[in-house]
Amino acid sequence: MWARVGVSILLAILVLAASAGYYYYANFAAPVSNITGQTVTRVHDDNNPNQVRDTASTGNILSGRRINILLLGSDTDEKFQGGYLAQTDIVVTIDPTTKSVGMLSIPRDTWLNAADGKGMMKLDQVYFYGGPALSEATIHQDFGIYIDYYAWVGLNGFIKVINTAGGVDIDVLHPITDDLYPDDTGNSRNAYAYKRLYLAPGPQHLDGPTALEYVRSRHADLVGDFGRSARQQQVLNQLKTKLNNPDIIGKLSELAQDLNGYVKTDMQLTDVFKLMNLARTVDQNKINRLILDTNYSRVENLQTPSGTQSVVVLNCDKVRQKIAQMFNLGDNAVCNTGIGSSGTPTVTSVSQLSLSSNLSGEVNVNNNTWQTAKQLPKISTMSLNGGSKDLFGIRSLLDLMLLVVFESPAALQT
Amino acid sequence: MKRSIPWRAFFLLVLLAISVQGCLGTGNNSNQNFKQVNTSNGQTLQVNTSDQALFKGKIYFTQGHVLLLIDGSRNVHTLTPRNQDVRDPAVSPDGKRIAFIVRYKYSSDLVYMPVQGGPVRILASGTGHFFQNNNNFTQDNYIWYAQPAWSENSSTLIFLSDLQKYYDWANYPYGDLGGDFDQSLFLDMQVFSVPLNNPPPRSVIENSGIVAYANFGDGGDRDPGYRPHHPYEIIYTHYTYDSSRSNQVIQLFMEDPTMIVKHPEKHYHPGDPGGGYDPGIAITPPNVQNLQPAFSPTGNSIAYIRRIDPTHMGLYVMPVPENITGDPNNKDVEQKALQPYKQSSLIVQGQFVSQPIWSPDGKQIAYLSYNNNTFDIWLANVSADAKTGAYKMQGNPVQLTSGGVDGDSRPFWAP
Repeated sequence: MWARVGVSILLAILVLAASAGYYYYANFAAPVSNITGQTVTRVHDDNNPNQVRDTASTGNILSGRRINILLLGSDTDEKFQGGYLAQTDIVVTIDPTTKSVGMLSIPRDTWLNAADGKGMMKLDQVYFYGGPALSEATIHQDFGIYIDYYAWVGLNGFIKVINTAGGVDIDVLHPITDDLYPDDTGNSRNAYAYKRLYLAPGPQHLDGPTALEYVRSRHADLVGDFGRSARQQQVLNQLKTKLNNPDIIGKLSELAQDLNGYVKTDMQLTDVFKLMNLARTVDQNKINRLILDTNYSRVENLQTPSGTQSVVVLNCDKVRQKIAQMFNLGDNAVCNTGIGSSGTPTVTSVSQLSLSSNLSGEVNVNNNTWQTAKQLPKISTMSLNGGSKDLFGIRSLLDLMLLVVFESPAALQT
Repeated sequence: MKRSIPWRAFFLLVLLAISVQGCLGTGNNSNQNFKQVNTSNGQTLQVNTSDQALFKGKIYFTQGHVLLLIDGSRNVHTLTPRNQDVRDPAVSPDGKRIAFIVRYKYSSDLVYMPVQGGPVRILASGTGHFFQNNNNFTQDNYIWYAQPAWSENSSTLIFLSDLQKYYDWANYPYGDLGGDFDQSLFLDMQVFSVPLNNPPPRSVIENSGIVAYANFGDGGDRDPGYRPHHPYEIIYTHYTYDSSRSNQVIQLFMEDPTMIVKHPEKHYHPGDPGGGYDPGIAITPPNVQNLQPAFSPTGNSIAYIRRIDPTHMGLYVMPVPENITGDPNNKDVEQKALQPYKQSSLIVQGQFVSQPIWSPDGKQIAYLSYNNNTFDIWLANVSADAKTGAYKMQGNPVQLTSGGVDGDSRPFWAP
């Protein structure tokens, strides 16, 4: 009889363990493995000048030589069935020996020569036509910056996270008016992809889409990005308060699902953890920021086979010099955007291609769920800077998303 | 040895706790009776049916942007369908109509309907379309409307709009304002008026219906309202920046709503801070952010919201400055207009306090307060001191609703 009881207890334990394992696998390991460890098939000629990634030998993303990470932020509008444009294009460079951090923001409308012979197009289209592989190769070819890793964020992920957190309740500082807000997260009927905003001032509840509008609008402040930063801090404060609430543990699997499909990177989860820990503590004032704005570029209307396009043309003499300094490239810094000294393209435009003819936007997904499953418990025992734990690495992935959406490590330090 | 209970100290502590509770706007509702009501809008709403939450009249508000009203018996009525985005209700003083805003993705309409419900009539439509201008830039002719308010004779509505977003700055008659003005849209909401009978097309309202100007790019105007028993005085919140153009200034302004129409020779300064004639006059100082004014039914007091610090807002009441709108650019009058503000009295404060409205008898103020992660309607009984006239709260504020109402929609209290 005791043997039967023992077997029954053992069976019950096994069933419970299997259920817990399945729950853990389905709710955390599977989504996280869809996010991290993506494999990028490098475009021909996009070779690492250092031959071997240092992490292969050290196992630590932040030890060894300088690394460059391409942050891509995309609309996830349903109208782009064949792929997504990358509205945010930022190269983060980290020198682990000096702990110096640089951020290069390249305008999405920058007119340049895409790698792999794809011709002239806007930078945001490069991601559409060739995913992270073509984006990385184009940055390498046109600026001499080899990209070690990428991280891509779809804005709908941010909306989902805000909604899962129950929205945010804030005092909208002043009326928000914007006639040129990018309409890129819904099923827009507007061919020009703009949306009009009018947010009333004062205390109110913001759902995910409205919170995104509040933090993203660039035309709603006389003081420009200073005002935008103040708005972002408000939303981040509320969101962080909710994410730090013990109640959020019950929503961790939901948050993991929110990120699934809206955050992708070829970094491993442990790399993301270490990178976000660095971002949480880096001195904001010591980050070398370079935005290729009107001081480094001009806006032109360009006649292309598909019609007139408003594009950003870089002033390469200025850009090359700055890139050489920021990335410590010396004579290897280039600015070969395919625009001649006369301002005219020297490479054939690819604009006649239809937006539905995605060339190679898909990324080969590494089937590494079990590998990820093994990393999750390890991450969960590691402490974030500040002392709290990062259960299943969800917090680090959330921070990676915030870093791209807000385009600043300040988003992690609120 | 057993010590005796210091009952005096205990009693004082209880009194202190009650008074602090009142100041923080967190009145105790443990003994109050909240009943669930069906609002047909897919959200939950509970209403306090206890005697502490008694009030007279009808309070109009929105939840999930569906128009609702609570009557004095604490019954809730749903007035608009769930698929319509409605904001900012305002009942006409004659009690016949209710004006409100119907909002769409790119625009909104200013509409009204009989107060008992019925067909909705559009007073001003914001519909439009996107197009590309001669320089291949995307533009549109959609229009926003917001926050209608009735004149005392129920014949005219003032409201907010960006009707002048294509204002011709390049041909501004009083000097070149620079390229930024010439090329940018004037999106800031300004105060306009429209008659209820035979409302003109919006192209006419755009030019002849302007009542109060905004400063270009500074945020615009908000919260317009007529002063009861004074048809030539309105109030609104004016958003601008200080002279460094880096710090937001939010002030309450009063104005004669006929000034611009009756005196076109005064060279006004639409959008241009510091130049020309300003028809509005500030009644609160620039160094404190004050917003959301509401006249008392007598027209002698103003309830408003003050941003006390980054984590506290306060509901205050101040006297109305008299005889200031006729000569708004006179330095002495400008100083005089700021004096009553110094007599402001704090009624209630909290993390988020907003949207004050007076009861028709002037004995209560309803406002929105943030508790348990929702914005809800609270009631404060108020009275004026017989000697000083300063308002103060009687007892503690009482929570009227639970479950959350819209913070971005101005409520209304009708008889």
